[in-house]
Amino acid sequence: MIQEAAISKINFPISGFSLYLCVLLGLMALEDQFGAIALGFIGGIILDLSPSSDSPFGKWSLILTLVGYLFSRNRESIGDFTERPVAFILFVSAGATSTLLIFLIFGIILGENNGAILNNLQTVVGNGIWTLLFSSILLPGLVKLRQFTLTSRERI
Amino acid sequence: MAGGGNNRSRLLLVILLVTSLFLITLDLRGVSITKNSRNATQSFLAPIQRGVSDLFSPVGNFFSDVKNFGKTKAELRDLKRENAKLRKKVILNKDTTGQLKKLKNVLDLAGRGSYKVVSARVIGKGSSSTFSQTITIDAGSNDGVKKDMTVMGELGLVGVVKSTTATSAIVLLMSDPTFRIGVRIARSQSVGVLMGEGDNNYTLQLLDPSGSIEKDDVLLSLGSDNNRPFVPGLPVGYVKDVKNTSATLTQEASVRSYSNLGSIGVVSVIVKSTNGGPKDALVPRPTPTPTTTIYVTQSPTPEASPAQSSKAKN
Repeated sequence: MIQEAAISKINFPISGFSLYLCVLLGLMALEDQFGAIALGFIGGIILDLSPSSDSPFGKWSLILTLVGYLFSRNRESIGDFTERPVAFILFVSAGATSTLLIFLIFGIILGENNGAILNNLQTVVGNGIWTLLFSSILLPGLVKLRQFTLTSRERI
Repeated sequence: MAGGGNNRSRLLLVILLVTSLFLITLDLRGVSITKNSRNATQSFLAPIQRGVSDLFSPVGNFFSDVKNFGKTKAELRDLKRENAKLRKKVILNKDTTGQLKKLKNVLDLAGRGSYKVVSARVIGKGSSSTFSQTITIDAGSNDGVKKDMTVMGELGLVGVVKSTTATSAIVLLMSDPTFRIGVRIARSQSVGVLMGEGDNNYTLQLLDPSGSIEKDDVLLSLGSDNNRPFVPGLPVGYVKDVKNTSATLTQEASVRSYSNLGSIGVVSVIVKSTNGGPKDALVPRPTPTPTTTIYVTQSPTPEASPAQSSKAKN
């Protein structure tokens, strides 16, 4: 809601910023493998339901499920993000960039017309840069929220 | 246990991937469930979106306003204290005045073209991460807005209605890469196709190889059967640069649109157009340069004194 009513209306230099992707990827990075995959699918379905989305229904859920799996595989090798904020921010920014790249590649496979390649690359890179900048503000809050919602059993 | 957890995750991954692929297949085969679900979401979200849009409306030009904050913190603090209440009012007034001005211009253009229009506010804009260019407006089928109706701004074409709900509609902007419109060059009457490129630049391809095209030529919409999706005679853009390449069979040109799609707040949906359209009545006229007129008045000559005049008589 905030993404479409406010964030998308801001004329960002280079390209726009996806608050939704940033928060979703941040949450996925904090989950275990099962949770990341499930969260990716649910997040994808919500994006698919977005009326402004022009892609086939299910495309976002497919991509974000895959990203959730890839996230959890790589996360295991990095360790606990709550103790490494810089790695967390870089991981989420790289994730946002990769997600959009995969989205573009899937679009090409499905025969969609997404416009000039240079424009699309600008959107992908711009989104990555803005995610990098904004995630440093958003993600610490997200970690605290996540810790707050953990059950006492999970904390142990 | 870890192995069991991995197996469980892999099973979930496979199930969800298959489900996603199933949904994509359903959508590509045109099953209405997926489309209806998007429409249902739109109907549900539109009123909330309108509220959120009102709340965040002044945020729109955030980055262009940032440069005005070059003053010192102390000065800003003083100003804030003095003008806290007034500023809020001014921002809201500016926003309203800006929207009113735009609405007036849109209605002026619609009036000149004898179009019957339904005006609407832009309450949402599609995220750039979807690579499609859309906006959401607060007028829907209850207001007479239907799919494939032309949407215009204060200076010309903005896009076409893609889908509607009872109280809102999604508009595909003319900058979308999938957008195509037949256009007519006002000067030479040559006909061509204009294609969106995802930003403010467009490509014009003339259908007639011998057609004439020049820089600054004005492009008007050609129109469609029963005026849907496009009404005729609406200004679309102007030729920025003619591409002279011998490799292509048809002539091509770079075009810039009249409407600034990055900052549209108010639009009008054309629900009815006069038969034949406004012809060339909406071609933007160049603003006349002000001419300076200098009036020369003769300065009064000093009158001769009585003594001098008597001397002259003698």
